[in-house]
Amino acid sequence: MNVLGNTEKNPKLVLSDVCKNFGGVVAARDINLEIFGGEVVGLIGPNGAGKTTLINLITGVYKVDKGKIYFKGKDITAQATYQRAIQGIGRTFQHPHLLDRCDIWTNIIMGSDMAARKKHGNKVDLDKVLPELLECAGLQAIYLDDPMSKLSYGQQKLLEVVRVLLSQPDILLLDEPAAGLNNRETQYVSDLIRYAVKHDIGVLLIEHSMELVMSICDRITVLNFGHQITTGLPEEVQNNTEVIEAYLGGGLADAED
Amino acid sequence: MLARKKRNTPVIVITAFLILLIAVVPQFTSTYTVRILSVALINYLCVLSVYVLLGLCGQNSFAQAGFWGIGAYIAGNILTKTFGGSLTAFVAAVCGTAFLAFILGFAFFRLRQYYFTFASIGLMTILNVLFINWVDFSGGALGMKEIPTFQLFGFSADSETSKLYVVFAVCLVATFLILLLFHSSLGRSFMAIRDNEMAADSMGINSLLTKSIAFAISGALCGAAGAMWASVSGYLSYQSFTYNQSTIYLVMIMIGGTGSPIGALIGTAAITILQEGFRSLQDYMQLIYGIGVIILMIFQPEGIWGGGKILYERFRKHREKSKVSAV
Repeated sequence: MNVLGNTEKNPKLVLSDVCKNFGGVVAARDINLEIFGGEVVGLIGPNGAGKTTLINLITGVYKVDKGKIYFKGKDITAQATYQRAIQGIGRTFQHPHLLDRCDIWTNIIMGSDMAARKKHGNKVDLDKVLPELLECAGLQAIYLDDPMSKLSYGQQKLLEVVRVLLSQPDILLLDEPAAGLNNRETQYVSDLIRYAVKHDIGVLLIEHSMELVMSICDRITVLNFGHQITTGLPEEVQNNTEVIEAYLGGGLADAED
Repeated sequence: MLARKKRNTPVIVITAFLILLIAVVPQFTSTYTVRILSVALINYLCVLSVYVLLGLCGQNSFAQAGFWGIGAYIAGNILTKTFGGSLTAFVAAVCGTAFLAFILGFAFFRLRQYYFTFASIGLMTILNVLFINWVDFSGGALGMKEIPTFQLFGFSADSETSKLYVVFAVCLVATFLILLLFHSSLGRSFMAIRDNEMAADSMGINSLLTKSIAFAISGALCGAAGAMWASVSGYLSYQSFTYNQSTIYLVMIMIGGTGSPIGALIGTAAITILQEGFRSLQDYMQLIYGIGVIILMIFQPEGIWGGGKILYERFRKHREKSKVSAV
C-alpha cells in the first residue's frame, strides 16, 4: 500500500509487527509503519506512549522483542546501532547530544565524517551545502570556532539537526526537535524538515506542538501505551474519536482506574 | 564565512623554541643534564600516549608503563639476541606493542569507563609479574644488560648528545603525527566517543573498534618510547615498568592539561624539573605530587596549559573591548 500514490516507489523504512516490553510495561505492541523518501510521518501520543522507544528500536539502541525492521528492503533487525547509522538512519535526541568539549566546527564536521563512512556515500561539498543548511537553521551568524557553550539550547538543537542532515541520511528520525524552542526557532525546524523533504529524505517526526505536526506532516501515526491507535492523513487523525479520547483524558482516566 | 582561523601558532613557537633549546643545551651543560633530557623526552612519548587515550578518547589506562616495558623488551631482545639493527628493533617494538594493545583493547573495551580502568590495573600487574618471571624474554630479576645503542647507516649514537638528538627526532615526528590525528576524521571519532558515546553510536562510529584503535596508537607510542629507552639506557630492569610509573604519566598529563600535546609536554617538563631540582626532597616527592595534583584539580582542572589558554582568551577579549571603547 502506498499512501502517496506513487506506486513505483518502495518504502525506505518498514516496521512490521514490532513489539517491545520493559518488564510488564508495554512500550510497543505490533507497530506497523512505512516511511517513504521525501515524506514526513508524524508520531504523536501522550507522554509515555512509547514514541522515543520506537525511535530507539529503529536505531537499534534497544533490541526488538518481536517483529522485523526493514531498511531499503534489507532486514536490519539484528544490526548494531552504528551499522544502521552508516546505512543511512540519522537521528536527533530529545536533549541534544553534542560534543561539549569540542568547538562548533568539529560538531558540524562529524556529520560529513559520517557521510564519508558510508559505503557508497558521496563526499559532501561543505562549501556548498553547509551555508545553505546553516541558513535554514538560522545559524548563519555563529562563529564556527566558538565552543558549544556559546550556543543557546535552541541553537544547539538546531545544530544537531544540521549535523545529521549533513550526513546525508535516507531516513531522519527527529525526537521532539521543537520542544523548548521559541516560535522563530520552531520555524527554523520546519525549514530544516522541508530541506530534508526536498532532498528525498524520509522524516519521522515526534512532536508535541500540534501546529507544527499538522502543518508539515503527510501522515500521522498516533501511539498510546505502546499501541498504534491509528495512522492516517492529518485531517482524519484530528477527527478520530479514539485519538481525541487519548489526548483529552480517556487515557488518563484509564490510568487512574 | 566557512574560512576558519588556524591557530597553530603556539605549536610552531614551542617547537621552534624546543629545537633551539635542544641544539644549544648540550654545548653548555654536563652529560648528566643531557641524559636527564633524553629520559624526559622518553617520558614525554609515554605521556603523549596517555594524551591519545585519555585526552582524545576519554579512556583512562594504568597499563601504559607496561606497554612501555613491552616495547623496551622487544627492542632489547632483537638488539641483543638477533642480527636485527636499530631500525628493525624500533619498528618491531612499535608494531608489536600496537598489535598487542589492539588485541587487548578488543577484549577490554567490552568494559566501559571505570571498569576498563580497573582491567588496565590488572593488566599492569600481570605484565609486571611477566617481566620478573619470564627470564627468556626479560632477563628476569637480573634484567637485560649490554643493549647496543642506535646504529643506522653506519652512524652510531655513542655520545649522550647524539642519543638525545635521536630521541628528540622521534618525539618530533610522533607529535606531528598526533597533531595530524587530531585534525583527522579518526581523531574526531575519538573525541565523539570521549564526549558522548551515544551520539558517536548514532553517527555510525563503531565504538569498540575505534577505542581499540586508540589503544593501539597509544601502545605504538609506548612501544617507541620503550625502544628509545632500551638504547639510551643500555640496561632494562623490571623495576622501571611499574604501576607507579603509569601513575606518574597520568599525573604528568593532569598537571599539564589533557587538552593538547603541549599539555603533555608541560606536564613532563614540570615533573622532571620537580624531580631533579628537589632531589634532596626525594622522600617527600610522592607527598608533593599528591598535594600538587589535588590543588591543581581544585583550582585548574584543565591543567597548566588549559588554564593558560583560558587566561589568554580573557586577556584577548579584554583587549578587544578596550579597542572598541577607544573607537
